Amino acid sequence: MRALEPWVVQPLETFLAESGARLTLLMTSSGQVVAQHGFSRSLDVMTAAALGAAIVASTEELARLMGASGFEALVHNGQRQSCLLAAFTTPRGRWIGLVVFGPETSVGIVRLFFDQMVQQLAAVAPREQPQVPMLAENFETELDASLKALFGR
Amino acid sequence: MSLVNFTAREITCKLVYYGPGRSGKTTNLQYVYGRVPESRRGRMVSLATQTDRTLFFDFLPLELGTISGFTTKFQLYTVPGQSYYNATRKLVLQGADGVVFVGDSQARRFDDNLESLQNLQDNLLAQGVDIRQLPVVFQYNKQDLPRDLILSHDEMDDALNFRAVPSYPADALHGTGVFETLRGISELVLKRLAVGSPVA
Repeated sequence: MRALEPWVVQPLETFLAESGARLTLLMTSSGQVVAQHGFSRSLDVMTAAALGAAIVASTEELARLMGASGFEALVHNGQRQSCLLAAFTTPRGRWIGLVVFGPETSVGIVRLFFDQMVQQLAAVAPREQPQVPMLAENFETELDASLKALFGR
Repeated sequence: MSLVNFTAREITCKLVYYGPGRSGKTTNLQYVYGRVPESRRGRMVSLATQTDRTLFFDFLPLELGTISGFTTKFQLYTVPGQSYYNATRKLVLQGADGVVFVGDSQARRFDDNLESLQNLQDNLLAQGVDIRQLPVVFQYNKQDLPRDLILSHDEMDDALNFRAVPSYPADALHGTGVFETLRGISELVLKRLAVGSPVA
């Protein structure tokens, strides 16, 4: 498991243990990863987050056009794996959960413990925002070297 | 907004390629995807119509390397350029750390460029973001076309680049200017993060 901030870990671990979910991704509404469990390649995590955030954003926009207050969660049922997508509010802003689960559990169980995780996150979230780091004095040299290495020029 | 993971020492930035339809936004990402080592990039996702026009967005995750001890990652997005896709453009623009405005250098697309730039400004404002406070660079694509069909780099600057931000001539299909543009926006976004203050 990887988490952006330590206070996310305990609620997420509890959710994973209770729900039987295979993969879980928590992200901001703009698709930035906050925490994840089960994905093996970090670049694939970003792709999953981008797609999940897009689905939720477009669904919420559709709900707004229809005059609905929004959809609580989306479930895609597959033969071997299913997927739950749900947005929720935390003291750190609006987040999205993407949960992949198999036939060893059920959508009802996953939703039940997902809702509990959301409550726990709200309860333990620190109110103050983390400080943005000052990057080192040699930042520009390292930036130049990294850009040259990546772009080959 | 950039996300910083202190535990894993990672920085993730979201860069959005904006501009009128058919200006070459997707072509930029396709060129980058084809030239960056596989270990440094993820899958390129394109949510496109059957005729390969961008419907929702293209997405390409890149790993830049380590800067000041932080593994630095970029998420490159494109928006659909056609005016009737504004709802999805707004969604993709949410949380952008920097914008590349890809202009079409053809003289006949002059009004489309202006309209798209105005639309960018409007969509940012709707999200409470002043375009003057956001890292932006311009790319003037299709500069390889015959001179009598296009506006020059200076003419495009005069038409679009009121704030004199970095701008790059490009032929995205063959790669000219693609990495220069990406390098330019990367520098602006990361310098802004380093300084912790808005880019003027």
